[in-house]
Amino acid sequence: MADETKPKKGGILGVFKDIVYGMSSHEMTRYAVRSRASMEHLFILITMGDLLGVPILPPYYSLRLLPYVTPQISAWKRRMLRERDITDVLG
Amino acid sequence: MSLRTVFESQPDRRYIMFGGKGGLGKTTLSATCAFWLASQGKRVLLFSVDPQASLSDIFQQDIFGKGPVPIMRNLWAQEVDADRRIRDYQEEIRKKILDMYGFDRVPEEIDNYIAAASAEPAMEESAIFDAVVDIVVQGDYDYYMYDLVPLGHALYYLSMAKVYDEWINKITRLREEMRQYDQVAATMRREKTMEEDKILGELLYIKERINASSQILTDRRRTAFFFVLVPEEMIILDTRKAAELFSKFDVPISGYVVNRVLPPDLGKGQIPEYLRNRIAMQQKYMRDIEASFGAQILAHVPEMERDITGLGMIERLAKRLFEEVSAR
Ligand SMILES: Nc1ncnc2c1ncn2[C@@H]1O[C@H](COP(=O)(O)OP(=O)(O)OP(=O)(O)O)[C@@H](O)[C@H]1O
Ligand SMILES: [Mg+2]
Repeated sequence: MADETKPKKGGILGVFKDIVYGMSSHEMTRYAVRSRASMEHLFILITMGDLLGVPILPPYYSLRLLPYVTPQISAWKRRMLRERDITDVLG
Repeated sequence: MSLRTVFESQPDRRYIMFGGKGGLGKTTLSATCAFWLASQGKRVLLFSVDPQASLSDIFQQDIFGKGPVPIMRNLWAQEVDADRRIRDYQEEIRKKILDMYGFDRVPEEIDNYIAAASAEPAMEESAIFDAVVDIVVQGDYDYYMYDLVPLGHALYYLSMAKVYDEWINKITRLREEMRQYDQVAATMRREKTMEEDKILGELLYIKERINASSQILTDRRRTAFFFVLVPEEMIILDTRKAAELFSKFDVPISGYVVNRVLPPDLGKGQIPEYLRNRIAMQQKYMRDIEASFGAQILAHVPEMERDITGLGMIERLAKRLFEEVSAR
C-alpha cells in the first residue's frame, strides 16, 4: 500500500526497472530493443504518415526528417502493408 | 490613444501586424507605419508571404524573392517566393540523402514521397510558416511588420502555429523516450558511448523555431495586432466576429484603425448627390464603429484622392496619420 502511493521516480527508466526486475540481462536487453523498435514504428508512422495518404504533420518539417529515416522507409512500408493484409484477412 | 502613442508608449512591441478583410488597407497601413517608424530612426523590416506581391506594387519596385531589399534609410521590404523556397528545399533534401548514404540517385520510393509531399497544399502553408519563422527569429531589426493576407488566412496561420507547437512538443517527447530505451539497451550491452541521435537534434531545432514563432504571435509584451476596417455595415459586423475569434487565439489586439474615411467637410461643398449620400451613410457607420470599438479606435485614415503607391504618397499618408492631430 505505502509503496503504491509513493510517486514513481525516474520516469520511463523507473517504470522500465520495475518491468525488467527479475529478467536476465539478456532478456532485459531484448526487451529494451523490442520496445525501442515498436516506438520506431510509431515514430515513423507519425512523422511520415502522409506516405499512407494521412497527412499528420506539416510536410515541410517531415521532409526535414526524411533523410534520417530513408533506410527504414522501405522496410516500414512493407511492414505496414503486411499488417494491413492481416487485418483485411481477419475483417 | 493614437497609433503614435501606442508605438511610443510600448516600445517593446516590435512585432506588428495589421489584420482585416481583403482590400481594406492592411498593406497600405503596414507600409505607412513602417515608413514612419523608419523615419524615427528605427530599423524596420516589412515582409510579406503573399504570392500576390503587394509590396512590390506599393513601393513600385520589384522585390519578389530577393530577400530584404532596402527601400529607404532604415526600411527594408521582403517578399518571400514560397514556390522557389519549396523547390530549393526539395533539392537540399535530395542532396542530403545522397550525401548521407553515398547513393548516386535518390531511391524511387523516396523521390516519389518528396514529390507527393510537395504537391500538397499543406506544403506551401508549412513552407510559408517556416519562411516567417526564418525572418522573425534572426532578430536584427527593431521592428518586424507582417504584411498579412486576409483575415481567414491570418487566423489560419495563427492556429497553425498553435497546432505545430503542440505537435512538435509531442514528437520531441516521444523521441526523447526512444532515446532512453536506447540508453538502457546500451548500458546492458556495456557500451560506453552511444551514437548521437541526429533526428532528436533536428526535432529540437524545429521545436525551438516553432516555439519561438508561436510565442511571438501571442506575446502581449512584444506583439501588437491592429484591425483595419472601413465604415461599411458588413465590414463592421465581420470585424466584430473576427475580433472575438482572434481573442480566443490569445492574439494581443492593440486597437482598430478606420480606413477610407471621407472628409466630413466635403459634404458642405457643391458635390454630386451620390457622394452626399455616401458621406451621410459613412457618418452613420462611423457612429456604429464608435459604439462598438470606442476607445480602442486608434486612427481615422482619410480617403486619399488616389491609390497609395510610391514613397511620396506613403509619406503624405504618414504625415496625416502621425504628425497631424488624428481625426478624433
Ligand atoms: N486611405 C486610402 N485612400 C485611398 N486609397 C486607399 C486607402 N487605403 C487603401 N487604399 C487603396 O486600396 C487598395 C487596397 O489597399 P491594400 O492593398 O492596402 O489592402 P489590403 O488589405 O492589403 O488588401 P489584400 O487583402 O488584398 O492584401 C490599394 O489600391 C490602396 O492603394
Ligand atoms: Mg495586402
